[in-house]
Amino acid sequence: MDSTLPSGPAVRIEGLDKRYGSFHALRKVNLSVERGERIVICGPSGSGKSTLIRCINRLEEHEGGRITVLGTELNDDVGNIDGIRREVGMVFQHFNLFPHMTVLENCMIAPMIVRKRPRAEAETTARRFLAKVRIPEQAMKFPGQLSGGQQQRVAIARALCMQPQIMLFDEPTSALDPEMIAEVLDVMVTLAAEGMTMICVTHEMGFARRVADRVIFMDGGEIVEEAPPEEFFTSSRNERTRQFLSQVLGH
Amino acid sequence: MVSLLRNQKVRNALLQALYVGSLAAMVLACVMIARRNLAEQGITSGFDFLFKSTGWDVNFSLLPATANDPYWWFFLIGIVNTLFLGTTGLILATIVGTIVGLARTSSNELARLLGRTYVDIFRNIPLILQVFFWYALITHLPTPRAAHEAFGMLLTSRGLYVPVPNVAGIAFAAAILGVIAAIALPLWLGRTSHLSQPFGERVGIQLTAAATALATAAIILALGRLPDLPLIDFPALQGLNLKGGMRIPPEFSALAIAIAIYGGSYIAEIVRGGFKAVGKGQMEAALSLGLSPWRVFTLVRLPLALRAMLPILANQYVWLMKATTMGIAVGFTDFFMIVALTINHSGQTLEVIGILMAGFLAINLSLAAVFNRINKAIALKGNQLRG
Amino acid sequence: MEMVVVAPPAPSRLEDLKRRFFATPLQALLSLISLTIMAFIVWKLLDWAVFSAVFTTTGGPEACQAAAGACWSVIAARWRIILFGLYPFEEQWRSALACVSVVVMTVLSCIPAFWTGRRIALIWGAGTGLYYVLMKGGVLGLPYVGEEAWGGLALTLFIFVTTCLIGFPLAICLALLRRSDLPWISRTTGLIIDGVRSLPLISILFTFAVVLPFALPQWLQGDKLYRVILGSALFFSAYQAEIVRGGMQGVPAGQEEAAMALGMSYWQRIGRIVLPQAMRNALPATINQFVISFKETSLVVIVGFFEILASGNAAYGTGEWRFAYVEVYAFIAFIYFIFVFSLSRYGAYLERRMAVGER
Repeated sequence: MDSTLPSGPAVRIEGLDKRYGSFHALRKVNLSVERGERIVICGPSGSGKSTLIRCINRLEEHEGGRITVLGTELNDDVGNIDGIRREVGMVFQHFNLFPHMTVLENCMIAPMIVRKRPRAEAETTARRFLAKVRIPEQAMKFPGQLSGGQQQRVAIARALCMQPQIMLFDEPTSALDPEMIAEVLDVMVTLAAEGMTMICVTHEMGFARRVADRVIFMDGGEIVEEAPPEEFFTSSRNERTRQFLSQVLGH
Repeated sequence: MVSLLRNQKVRNALLQALYVGSLAAMVLACVMIARRNLAEQGITSGFDFLFKSTGWDVNFSLLPATANDPYWWFFLIGIVNTLFLGTTGLILATIVGTIVGLARTSSNELARLLGRTYVDIFRNIPLILQVFFWYALITHLPTPRAAHEAFGMLLTSRGLYVPVPNVAGIAFAAAILGVIAAIALPLWLGRTSHLSQPFGERVGIQLTAAATALATAAIILALGRLPDLPLIDFPALQGLNLKGGMRIPPEFSALAIAIAIYGGSYIAEIVRGGFKAVGKGQMEAALSLGLSPWRVFTLVRLPLALRAMLPILANQYVWLMKATTMGIAVGFTDFFMIVALTINHSGQTLEVIGILMAGFLAINLSLAAVFNRINKAIALKGNQLRG
Repeated sequence: MEMVVVAPPAPSRLEDLKRRFFATPLQALLSLISLTIMAFIVWKLLDWAVFSAVFTTTGGPEACQAAAGACWSVIAARWRIILFGLYPFEEQWRSALACVSVVVMTVLSCIPAFWTGRRIALIWGAGTGLYYVLMKGGVLGLPYVGEEAWGGLALTLFIFVTTCLIGFPLAICLALLRRSDLPWISRTTGLIIDGVRSLPLISILFTFAVVLPFALPQWLQGDKLYRVILGSALFFSAYQAEIVRGGMQGVPAGQEEAAMALGMSYWQRIGRIVLPQAMRNALPATINQFVISFKETSLVVIVGFFEILASGNAAYGTGEWRFAYVEVYAFIAFIYFIFVFSLSRYGAYLERRMAVGER
């Protein structure tokens, strides 16, 4: 995939359909994300929001519909899949850092073996992004020696080291203790301010209000509502959205 | 073409076809080459040879055997021998293993040390070396004329001679069944839920059942007694040879002893592991209910430990069954040795290898089936009571 | 910080003994029984092996037969055949050196600093290569000695090492194939693994040594020794594959997903992320498998190889030492014991260390 990209949306999803056995996880989902846009997806558990973003880098295989990422269609072509994964970074709920490597190695491995960057360059990049997520001093430690918040920041740095064009966040703060959520959100806010295309599955409504261009509410495998944050939080039209919001914001 | 190869689904299908296809081709090629080679030696493939007589003899058989018997009969003899040696070894190993394992879990330091030394020594010496050792030891015993005597048994270089009752074969077999019933019946009665009597009465019923079974066995033995002979036939020296009693050949005893000792060291560790798996909490609970240490052991510790060790024990038993193939090292005609001899004499290589695989598959699967049943029967319901 | 240690009054030694071994009548009985058994065995063993034993060859077999104890002179007279088999007498230093190289290699690979795929492969490759050159000769001015003359401990070690060297990579391949998402590949591999595991090793060795030549074209048959090693490696790999697979199951699915999301290819994910973690999980079971397979190398005696057990049989079986079988077997058992015991102790140590690390 070229780094000089064709114009058009970053991600276009049309009529996406996905089942697990008899469970209908996604029903005819349509979504278009522009370059530089920041999307927050929320919804009750089992609503298909994680499945949706995991389809974007093919951690899940979709069954119906089309996904186009950065102008390339995501289909059975192995080259397309590899190309898209290189350009799409992902941060997981449970960090998924590699426990047998140091923080620095975690950040260096993908640029070195996937992008074939020389070691010295990979290390410079890794240190730069570790500094950016504000833990440069932890570079030589192993993930198991860090707190949850620190681990998640390393995970963000690891994804950024591949210098992706799109970042996916799959409930990045759900596994964290309350006092550590802020440090991770801070990093995400900085990232948003720099113009990264971001798709975040999260229940952090404060974050959504502050940075999102659009908030999407999903339920039962469908997009129920899609609106800019001020409209979404103040005057949502849908009953299910209002019920969900009252549960999330209620206390 | 290139773009087709980049398609994930096409790739997957190709990979699978390639893998399965090349394996199948390899096997097919081997079979075809083997058939051609055998045909050159004048050996036609097929299972007709099973009905030809072997022309050679076996040195140990529980079934009547002569050189005129057909091959299929010899295979049966081999399987019976394997099962007999395997079961004997398995029972002996379990006895040894239980004693050593209990010593290893005992509260007494010296007993623990003794058990540990046993396990460390016999686990770390290859089984076949132990087989060779016992076989050499037995064949270096004195000749029948200078035999060692103990409890009516004679120890000689030609084997162990034990006294046997003068009883018809069928009656003897029936009596053995009776003894097994005497052990199994009370256990079965204890398990079935329709025995809702209080504990004391239940034990009474169990004891009665056992006694009845034993008495029946004794009566059958008495009825089957051969006329005009003493009740028990002791082995004795007559001229240069030993007469009377039953000879246990050195091959068999060497294997049985070695399997018992080596297998025992493994089973001891399984027993120890089983007891270790019983949670402290359950034992403390039992003790706090005021049960005596003995009752705690029989009612709580032992049943829970048995459940923990059974799956591992099943694997060990399968292993022990397979270990009987070491019979070939000392010339015991187990299933595998019959297979090897058949290949040598008949040349029906492919068919016999097929029979070998089928035989061991059958032995493995039936053992696994038996243990699965036992396991299911005693498994704790639900997942309460995890150690 | 201040520490106050109040030492309990030291119990007298007698009281201590009483508490430990004679607390209750049952305990006392158990102690007495154990003590008697131990004393009896130790005394008998010492008497046989040391006090009444003959150690020198000066008296020959006759002096031995007269003595009540062990006849260690058989070892003094025959140790070369037990260790080196029929290897030419003047060249036996090579055989000894080859054994040392294998032992050094094994010890080195027990040190955590060498636990990366590349280093282990390098050590084993170098160790086995050195062994092969030393034993076979034909280069560097060493006279050529064919495989048919190899024997004794040296052959046992060779079979063990090559079994592992071939079997280990094969095991990883089998584990990966069985774990594959592609149903035909994983099912077929499962069939192979379970099939091999249901057969006794002896039957596999026999098939490879005796039956396989019928089923292979001339150019593929190779030496009987290498066929048997192949059979033994196949058996090893079927068991080891299940251990490796177990280790892989212990690696959370998120690890592979994270690697996928970073764009790593299948082989990069397996080689860099999954296998290093899986091998660590599988380490104790792997050592146990090594122990078992070292003991099982002794089975090649059945298909007619002159390894340590067969050379032991030959050491006492011919001529004047016929009576001294116990001593010969004890010597071989001792050699096996040293190897197997130290390896299994090491495995137990690792297991404990890892259990502590996980807490």
